[in-house]
Amino acid sequence: MTGAPMTTTRPVAAAPSAVPVRRASGRAPIARLTWMLARPSAQSAATIVLPAVAFAVTTALLLIVFGGALMFWRWTTDDAGVYQLLSILALALLTVPLATLGGAAARLSARRRDDRLATLRLIGATPGVVTRITVLESTAVAVLGALAGVVLYLAVTPLVGLIPFGGAPIGAAALLLDVWIVAAVVAGVALLAAISAVVGLTAVIVSPLGVRTRQRPQRVHWLRGLIGVAVVVAAYTVLNALGVLPGLAVIVTVLTATFAVGVGILNLIGPWAISILAKVQVRSARTPAKLIAARGILESPKAAWRQVSGMAMTSFVAVVAGTGVAFADTMAAGDSTAQDLLLITDVRTGILITLVASFVMVACSVGVNQAATILDRRDLYVGLDRVGMPRQVMERARSRTTMVPLLFVVIGSAVVGVVLVLPLAGLALILAPLSMLVIAGCFAVGLLLVWAALAATRPVLTRVLGEPERA
Amino acid sequence: MGPAPDASSLSRHQAESMNTHSDHTNHPSPGAPVPPRIGDQQAAWSGAASSPQVATHPAAVAPAYPAPLLSGAQLVKTYGSTYALAGVDIAVHPGESVAIMGASGSGKTTLLHTLAGIITADAGTVAFNAPHGIVRVNELGEAERSRLRRESFGFVFQQGLLIPELTAIENVALPLMLAGYHRREAEGRAQHWLAVLGLAGLEARRIGELSGGQAQRVAIARAQVTGATVIFADEPTGALDSATSVDVMTALLDSTTGQGHSLVLVTHDEQVAARCSRVVRLRDGRVVPDASPATVAPGTSQAPAPPTGPHFYGGGWDEPRGAATTPIPGGGAA
Repeated sequence: MTGAPMTTTRPVAAAPSAVPVRRASGRAPIARLTWMLARPSAQSAATIVLPAVAFAVTTALLLIVFGGALMFWRWTTDDAGVYQLLSILALALLTVPLATLGGAAARLSARRRDDRLATLRLIGATPGVVTRITVLESTAVAVLGALAGVVLYLAVTPLVGLIPFGGAPIGAAALLLDVWIVAAVVAGVALLAAISAVVGLTAVIVSPLGVRTRQRPQRVHWLRGLIGVAVVVAAYTVLNALGVLPGLAVIVTVLTATFAVGVGILNLIGPWAISILAKVQVRSARTPAKLIAARGILESPKAAWRQVSGMAMTSFVAVVAGTGVAFADTMAAGDSTAQDLLLITDVRTGILITLVASFVMVACSVGVNQAATILDRRDLYVGLDRVGMPRQVMERARSRTTMVPLLFVVIGSAVVGVVLVLPLAGLALILAPLSMLVIAGCFAVGLLLVWAALAATRPVLTRVLGEPERA
Repeated sequence: MGPAPDASSLSRHQAESMNTHSDHTNHPSPGAPVPPRIGDQQAAWSGAASSPQVATHPAAVAPAYPAPLLSGAQLVKTYGSTYALAGVDIAVHPGESVAIMGASGSGKTTLLHTLAGIITADAGTVAFNAPHGIVRVNELGEAERSRLRRESFGFVFQQGLLIPELTAIENVALPLMLAGYHRREAEGRAQHWLAVLGLAGLEARRIGELSGGQAQRVAIARAQVTGATVIFADEPTGALDSATSVDVMTALLDSTTGQGHSLVLVTHDEQVAARCSRVVRLRDGRVVPDASPATVAPGTSQAPAPPTGPHFYGGGWDEPRGAATTPIPGGGAA
């Protein structure tokens, strides 16, 4: 007898008979077990589709961004250097949200099997078998997603090619990458998925019951706030001493330095500021949804920060660089070459692309993270539904848990940007209507995107509540 | 400390009102030992709240609470080709505690969920005697059942009801906040209930910082805070060691039947069941007619506080009772 649990669902009940049979011959049939466990019948389709879509979007964006960045490195014009520098900046900016998204997708694809893998452990599969099944599955989903991403990249390239740089549309051909780079990106995404799966599995391997007990909420030290404010003040003083900027090249240098300092500060202050915000909201919450959301954020300010931090950088840069563009605009009004004008336009285009790309990635990782969270807290949601908590309240709490930090981070980073740029440019420049309106529009669209991603995970909750016996 | 006295007076009031009517549980019942047919029940329940059950109770001269607080008639629920419930009749009276027992898959949790309006039966009727009249739970829509559960029922499950990142007091206050209470008042009442359950001083602890027994007490407080007259408990002691289990059961009984409220409890544990006023056993979706003496005897020693005293209806409909200590097989269960 294998001692298979009586109450488990059929596919799991089938697994134990497979394990010992093959074990007798020395090896567990990892591939077969994986295939058996991956049958879509038992799990919500969303749990396979969501990570796959996220991997596809990650890959497509990665390829487009690489293509765009490499394009500038093929330029031989006088100011190619500036473009190349800016392309590195944009790449750096997109790294954080991209990594967040890839990590979230990998975590979801690893986590969604927790219950089954815990069962596998209970019936005697070794940690090695469990690890290999999960890694294989996550990697397979990632590879499928990445390949779909390549297709998406090829499909979207003509559209992206319409974006004008250097005075003319860049054209689809300019964005096309060598085959080996594409292959490397796909392999990289798969590797990321595999590593995340291993990391995500540690908990299951430690405890076969898969019990997740959280004793204490995460604490974020107030020293972060102090250091952060000190750095902002110091940077403000230094930049103030610099006075008015002389030329374009210097602008780029100073802006890059400002960017570096800003990223550092934001990462330091971010989690702390979010925890302060959540504490205030816990105290002032008047509705269950607000209370639950605020407590949820306070539970792990670092995770809340991680999810939206990509947006923080982008928002910060949008203000800093947007001001730079406005500044250059006024310079251009005086005497400047056609080339300078072109550069100014291109920088603005670059900022907008970076903003939109960041938002798309943040939206994707929000969707994936939320799906993972719902599955993680399945029994809680089922329990709350049973005691009569309205679905609306759950949705509102879920939405607030994401949207509040996001709004806070977008606005907060913009404010930090303004503080740092203020010494360099007047407030009039920062609020220059042209750039501001467009950037504000981007923010609005971006927030809508994130909200839509949240809405996209509602079916997962519906599914969970509709199949309470799986809780 | 304003709200706390309110809360206690509320529950006291309810306890008194239950006491007032508790006598009736002992009385007017269908003349025949055979449970009423579905049609009769429906005729009775579809009537206005003013004359509940008159049709099936010829002997009843319409006392204030002639009907059980909660009853299920001829409940049928299938999952695929499996009968989880194959025609179950059950009645729960004010102030009594009913333990539902049975092996895994016997339908006991399905019965609890059906009575509580978490799921709807495929056939049969569930009637809840709400203060404003009889509510036919099975015919309510999803949102109405959700509201009924939130406002009129309390729940204590083995796990999954407490939000881990919320503090004890916030968890308990939540149902009141959902009902529209101001947070301060909700937390005032929550504090009162936590104190009643021996958790004073632990209000600001998060659930993860409490022991299993303490967490279950928080769940009991959460179930009680709205003044629910029926509490449903599904394996409330399932995850606890035996000593803690005894404490939690005491707390659960004191705060339900001790207040004149009713408790419907699903358990595997004979010792837990023995402390309830009566035991309904299920097998293959049916009520097992004869409760063995072993389950009857201990029940009498743990009679709930004043209201009704123990009754052994044997899981059937509202039987006429002469001897409270003798189980009478329910006719419909055979």
